[in-house]
Parts: sequence; structure tokens; C-alpha cells
Amino acid sequence: MRPGRDALAVGPAIAFIVLFSLVPVALLFATSLADSGGLPGFYAAVGSPLNARSIGNSLVQGGLSASIAVAVGYPVGVFFGRYDWPGRSVLRSFLLVPFLLPSLVVVFGILDLFGPSGLVSSTVPALSFLGGGLPGIIAANLVFNVPVVVLFTATGSESASPELEETVATLGGSPRRAYRDVWGPPTLVGASVGGLLTFLFSALSFAPPLLLCGPRCYTAEAQVWSLDQNLLQPAVAGDLALAMVLLFLGPTILYLLLVRRLRATPGQRSYRARPIGHRPVALALGVLSALVLVAEFGVMAAVLVRTAVPVGSGGFGSAWAALFSARTTAQIGVSAGGMAANTLLFAVGATAIAVLLGIVLGYAVVGRPGRAYGLGLVLFLPLLISPVLLAFSLASSWRPLLGGEPNVWILVIVSQAILAMPFALQSLQIPLSGLSRGPREAAQTLGASPWQAFLETDLPRVRNGVATAGLFAFALGLGEFTATYFLVTPRYATLTVALARLPDVRGYAVADAAAGLLLLLSLAVFAALAFGGRRVEL
Amino acid sequence: MSSSDPWLEVRGLSAAWERTPVLRSVSFSLAAGEFLVLLGPNGSGKTTLLRCLAGLERPTAGSIRLGGEEITDRPTFRRGIGLMFQDPALFVNRSVYENIAYAPLLQRRPRAEVAEEVGSLIDLLRLSGFEDRRPDQLSGGERQRVALARSLAARPRLVLLDEPFASIDVEVKAELHAEFRRALRARGAAVIHVTHDREEGMFLGDRVGLLFDGSLETVGPPRSVYANPGTERAARFLGYNVFPSPSGPVAVHPTELRWGPFEGPGTVATVLSVGASGRENRIVARREDGSQAELLRPGGEAVPAPGVRVRLLWDASVALTGPA
Repeated sequence: MRPGRDALAVGPAIAFIVLFSLVPVALLFATSLADSGGLPGFYAAVGSPLNARSIGNSLVQGGLSASIAVAVGYPVGVFFGRYDWPGRSVLRSFLLVPFLLPSLVVVFGILDLFGPSGLVSSTVPALSFLGGGLPGIIAANLVFNVPVVVLFTATGSESASPELEETVATLGGSPRRAYRDVWGPPTLVGASVGGLLTFLFSALSFAPPLLLCGPRCYTAEAQVWSLDQNLLQPAVAGDLALAMVLLFLGPTILYLLLVRRLRATPGQRSYRARPIGHRPVALALGVLSALVLVAEFGVMAAVLVRTAVPVGSGGFGSAWAALFSARTTAQIGVSAGGMAANTLLFAVGATAIAVLLGIVLGYAVVGRPGRAYGLGLVLFLPLLISPVLLAFSLASSWRPLLGGEPNVWILVIVSQAILAMPFALQSLQIPLSGLSRGPREAAQTLGASPWQAFLETDLPRVRNGVATAGLFAFALGLGEFTATYFLVTPRYATLTVALARLPDVRGYAVADAAAGLLLLLSLAVFAALAFGGRRVEL
Repeated sequence: MSSSDPWLEVRGLSAAWERTPVLRSVSFSLAAGEFLVLLGPNGSGKTTLLRCLAGLERPTAGSIRLGGEEITDRPTFRRGIGLMFQDPALFVNRSVYENIAYAPLLQRRPRAEVAEEVGSLIDLLRLSGFEDRRPDQLSGGERQRVALARSLAARPRLVLLDEPFASIDVEVKAELHAEFRRALRARGAAVIHVTHDREEGMFLGDRVGLLFDGSLETVGPPRSVYANPGTERAARFLGYNVFPSPSGPVAVHPTELRWGPFEGPGTVATVLSVGASGRENRIVARREDGSQAELLRPGGEAVPAPGVRVRLLWDASVALTGPA
């Protein structure tokens, strides 16, 4: 792109991010600090017993989840990364499903397994402690995040140079030495990246503490929501959100630095996983991996089982009938069809924005490492700006400008787009970074205009990446709960929002059906990703 | 092991890649300090053979003895065999010195001995002044010299070279050939070098072997192998033209092949292209059976125009035997 056109394309994209995330967040912090009386007020607000407890909860839940996720996910990641076995590729793709699942579906899966009348807890009552409280929250966090650690560890393993590993062996280095000097460090970097993400996701988790425990387990994220929506203390909520950002700035920057080190060394021979053979270590890793996969499958299977056969009376299929009943419509304020339509509408809108911005920004940084680094920091800011903070700041700054409640759906789409963008961009960066200028320049020497050359040479080469990014963003939009729950009015309730409200109105079986519907939608997206031969990177 | 026993003895070595045979009962031997070059086209099994010798691939049959010991089932890191790839595979986060010192330190040799060993290899491979540099601060040729020094520092019983010069510039390649040969001889290392570059192979090897479709053919001194390629595919690989004759196929070197008018005796061919090849003229012609023939004629000699039909004649040829 020429500089002028470049600015024309990138400018609006950057402006979108700045206007809908950075500026509202900055305004929110400034207003909150001013309203609470400057720094002394900030310290007082953050140091109050309830808020301090929520920060402590964030650190404990994040730390515990990350530690267990790394302990379990690292060996499984090594098994997925280094060894070749039947079904490896499909199961590796499957590991993305828990990450794509709506958080509420996982919470319902935990309840269906270990909660009251749970499929496991009713058979093994000793395990009912996993159905709520801190153990339940950690279990839910692990369902999402163990696959994250597994995938990053496997990616780290595959980025090690196979030639160097073989060379170490020919120089007399034992397998343990090859681990220490060649393939161990990148797998540990991968596990650290996964662990940091787990820490961030878990410390800022919303649905698990909200539904599995209650206020005593609220993370800072849930506490910000509660302060603004229930206790009507927006200034204190803003102060706590600022404290969260400051607290998690370090881990976020560390994540961004480490994830860059996971890129494969250019020019190396393509990685080839080795057969398991009769290696005892590989067999042990295989058993552990099978247990993890069974657990992940189990949570989803529990949701589907409960969808078909809900707890209590009604029998087979009654949950679906209840979901689409007039009674449910009256309770939620919108019909099940309406909820599904809202969910799809918001997800499609968010996908369109995230993919369009992803293409423009990703294309602008191709072959420009300096610019890529700067832009990368801006684009990955949503990792630091939590969903509640984003929704809270959008509601403060933009809701009045949009004319109030009737147009709040715009903010739902915007928030979902901003939250999905880092992941959509990640899927686009790989095909975009592989674009060589050769075919485009060849087309231009044959008389194609720059635009024609882009359409006919570059676009076909990144089409798969665009589809992957789109599906990924769509799946995240389908399951987005936190920001949507914060922003949406009853008329625009999505399936996730309805799911959170249904237990309050004793609609447990109905909620099971809604969770099942969301799970099926997520599985459909996964199927499109996996069977379209698309590789998604986190 | 007696002094008359070979240093390396490979017997009936076979290997497969997902049930497709890659090596078919390969047998050969190597004397201590000998430099053997295995030549063959891409996909002939050269790399697989080296990987089997190094223990990186498991052969489906056969045995390997090195220094009188059976090593067929021994793990790579206990074989004492160094392997260099086309990619030098250096530790990117270590200096040249640290890369070379890697194996001696692994062997827990005294620090002073390691320093002496590394210093002598740095001198031998002309790497003085580069000790503190990282691999990304070196040229391709320098990186390969570091890789060889690192390999030799382990004092391997056998050095395997897998096309280490394949991605090196032509000017640097000739210099590296000489340096590698000198360094390896100075260390008295037994070497197996695989390449598809016949000139490189003929220059470096004490003996050369030709590998086709996983089978080893025609092992011998370079001049002898070149003079008597044996089979049709070996002759073609070495750059000969192959013609049928009443007594069987014969190999004709491009410099021995002449052209004459269409009305005369000889094999009929149509000239495809004519161009300069150094001081000689290179003529490519298509024979009636569809195969191509190459002629290298002195620069001052008249050449036919492309499209002209000619007769091909030769004065000297080599009889070929064995399978086609």
C-alpha cells in the first residue's frame, strides 16, 4: 500500500479501537478518580474490605487455576506436540472447543456433573464439592484453560528445530540433554504463555464466580459489575477497574513478549512428530491426555444429556418444549427464537467488524516488524481491558450519545467485536505474514491495477485465514456473556444472558435446553473449522 | 578388531517409509580415515542411509558395525557418529566458541583441554576472530565451518555429511570443499558424504558410490567409476549420453559426440538448441526415440542451427552392463 492509501485504510480502523475502547476507558478512569476524590479516594475504594477481597479472590482463583492448568496441560501438550498417534489432528482441533464454548455452558456442565442431582455427584457424592464454591470455580476455569496450555505447549514443541535436536544426539547428548538444550525451553515458553493467559482469564472470570459461588467468591471483574449494576457505585467500580488494569498490566505485557518467542524459526525443516512406539513416557503422557479429553468431553456430554433428559419431571425433550414455551417468553421478556436471533445478529455484526478491521490492520503490518509491534500493542489491548471494563466504559461514554436503551444493541456488537479482534487477528496474521510480494507484482507487470492485483493474488491466498478468523470471531460472539450481560436490555437478551437469568426464575430445565442450543451452535462452528482443514492459533 | 577389518561395515541395510522401501539391502565398508562419497539423485535414499547410520531412523533389516562393535540397535547419542545437515543447526543463542565447545563439555573433559581443542579447531577451520559471534552474525559458509568444527570437537568415530554445501554460493563452495577435505584429513576422520553434485563428489571422495532407488551400485575410486559407470542410469547420472549398439548399450561422453549431415551415417536427431558453455559450444538434440543427446564441441567449430536434422557419431564409447 502507498502511504496515503495506507493511512486512509488504517486510520478508520485505529480510530474505531481508540474511540470504542481506549477513550471510553480513559474517560471512565478519569471520571471515577475525580468523583471519588483523587488518589486518596482511589486507595480508600480499592482498600475497602469487599473490594480488597475481590482482588484477593482474583489472585487466588487466577493463581490456582494457572498452576493446575500448567501442571496438567504441560505434559498433555508435550504429548500432542511431539508424538504422532491416530486422531491427533482432529483431537487437537477439538481442544479449541472448550475455549470457544460460552462460559455459561461450561458452568452448566459443571453443575450438571457435580451440582445437586449431578450426573457424577449423585453416583459419587464425595465429588459434589466440585459443584460449587472455589473448587467449582477452579474446575470451570480448568475446563476452559487446560486446552489453552496444551495448545501453546504443543506449538512450542513444534517450534523447536528438529535438526538441532538430532545434532545434539549425534554430538553425544542424551534425550534429557536434548530436552534441556533444544525442545524443553520452547515448550516451557508455550506453557508459560498458556499459564499467563489462564491466570488473566481466571483472575478476570465472571460467570463462574457469579453462578457457582456468589459474592464471597467474586473476582474483581464480578465485583466491578456488582458495584455498578447492583450497588450503584459507579465511581468505586471505576476505581476498582483501574486497579485491575494496573495489577494485570505486568502479566499482560509478559504474555505479549513471550508469545512472540513462540514463532517457528524460519527456514527450518518442517516439524515431524514421532511415533509413540514403546516409549513408557509417551504411553504415560497418552493416558493423562486421554483423561483430560474424557473430562472435556464429559462436561459437554453432561450438557447434552441434561438437554435431553432434564432434572425433575417432564421427561425426554421437555426442556426444549419449555424453552420455546410462552411462559419462558414471559419470564425472559423475549421468545427463544428472539434470543437466538439476537445472539446470531450480534455475533454476525461483531464478526463482520472484527474481520474487516483484522484484514485492514493485518495487511498494513505485513513485512513491517516495527509497525507490527506498535500496532500489536494497540490491537491486543482488549486482553488487558476486561469485558466488564469495556462494557462499563462503553455504557458510560456511548450509551447517552446513542440515545439510550433502544440503540444499546450497537454497543453489544461493538464490544463483542473488540473482544474478538485479538483472536481474529491472530488467525489472520499467519497467512498474512506468509504473503510474498511476487505474485502481486507479477500481476501488476501484466497490467493489473493494485486493487485488481490484491483481489486476484493476495485475497485468494488469505481466504482460508479470513474464514478461520470469521468463524473464530463468530464463535466468541455466540458465547460472549460478560459484556453482553452488562449492556443488554431484556428486549435484546441473547441466549447467554437468558441462561444467566433463567435459574433466577427456576427455569433450570429450560436453561439446560438453552445451554444445549449454545453448545450445538459452538460445535457447528468447530466442525466448520476442523473439517474445513483450518488451523486456528490462539 | 584386527587391522585388516574395515572400520565401518554395513551389511544388507534396508529401510522403509510407511511401507515404501527406501533402502534395499545396502552393503559397503569403509576403512579408517577413508572419505566415501555417495552420489545419487533426489529421492535415492542418501539421507535415509545416513540417518540409519546415525541411529535417527530404524532400519527394517541389516547390520552396522563400527570399530568392530555392533551398533545397529545402539541409541544415537551412544554411537559416536557425527552428522552434519544442509542446515548447520547451530545453537542460535550461543557464540561460535560455545557451539564448538558443546560436545567436549558434554563429555566432561577438563576446561583447559576443551579450550585447547576448540582453539585448534578454530585455527583449523579459519574461524579466528569469530569466537564471540553469534550464528546470525555469520555467513552461510562460516556457519557450515562452525558446524563442522562442532562436529569434530566431539571426536566422532565417523563423520556423516548430508549435502552440507547445497545452499552455499558457488564461489564459496570451492573454498569450503578444500577446507573441509583438509580439516577432515588432518583429524583422520572416516567420512561418508552424500550429495547429488557429481563434480563435488568426484573431487572430495577417496571412493564414490552411486545410489539409485535405495540400491548401491558401482562403488570405487572416482576415476574408475567415471570411466566405467556400469549401468545405463549410472551413465546418465554421470552426464553420459546412452546409445544402443549391436553389442548392447554404450555410454558416450558429450565431448566424444560429433554431428554430421543428415544424409551420412549415424543416429538421426533434430537440433533443439545451441549455446555457449564456457569455452565450448553446447548442442542439445532430440533423437528419434524422443530421448535427448548433449554435445560439447570446441568453441571454434561450426554448429548446426536449431531445427536442423543431423546425424550423431562418436569415436569412443564405454560399454554398459547390468540392469537398465
